[in-house]
Amino acid sequence: MIQDRLDIAWIILIGLALAMLLVPPLVPRPLLANALLLTFAAIKGRRIVLDFLDLRSAPALWRGLVSAWVVTVVLFAWLASAIVALI
Amino acid sequence: MSATDCEQQETGWGILEDLPGDPMIWVLIFSELAAFGLFLGAFVVARALQPAVFAAGQATLDPHLAGINTIVLVTSGWAAARATASARAGERARARSWLFGAMALGGVFIAVKLYEYAGEIASGNGLETSPFFTLYFLLTGFHLLHVGLGIVILAVVSPGGRAASVETGTAFWHMVDLLWVVMFPIIYLVHA
Repeated sequence: MIQDRLDIAWIILIGLALAMLLVPPLVPRPLLANALLLTFAAIKGRRIVLDFLDLRSAPALWRGLVSAWVVTVVLFAWLASAIVALI
Repeated sequence: MSATDCEQQETGWGILEDLPGDPMIWVLIFSELAAFGLFLGAFVVARALQPAVFAAGQATLDPHLAGINTIVLVTSGWAAARATASARAGERARARSWLFGAMALGGVFIAVKLYEYAGEIASGNGLETSPFFTLYFLLTGFHLLHVGLGIVILAVVSPGGRAASVETGTAFWHMVDLLWVVMFPIIYLVHA
């Protein structure tokens, strides 16, 4: 049932949004905190791509292209913060 | 030549025809993702070069207001997705109601963001305060303009409630949603 899938996606998105606000005070190590925050963002992005944008049933090329955008941006952000932390 | 090839030649959109909504909106969506991707990349590089300046700027932001706006926008995206499902099922009146909900929540997002801007400006932070605030106001302001444009697009497709139009309008709205869920941690929560 598509409505059920949308409702589940919405609950996951809300849960992750709330969890992200708890990460900075609960995880003092910046590298780990950043990794958690950006992983949550990637999961949220993936849910929006598959369920809200409805690319689940679209050709793999389009699903992969938009998902790759999400992964590239968050990975770049994490790598940049990791390099600064390690220097 | 297959029947599918013939159809794609007739419409002229090729493989973009496989995406939900009007192919033209996807040309716009891919262009916007590229532009925002570069913009966010510039923000990340600038933060890596000036971590202290960006940490000081970020410390003055209110992540809870941005968190509330995340919940508002993903809920709006959920309403828009329900509108698409209703429109596909031929339930036009229900689709219009969901679209109205999505637009109303978009309005709430704008109101919260303007309230946040007012607090930041009252604290003495503006476009030229520091590189952090220049990029912060440009990025979030550019995104805010897209929220406004998205509401206009949803308002245009709402009266008819036709599935193809609703798919087109909501695809743009979900892109605005997607941009925010990636921007939110990078600007407000991630530390260099």
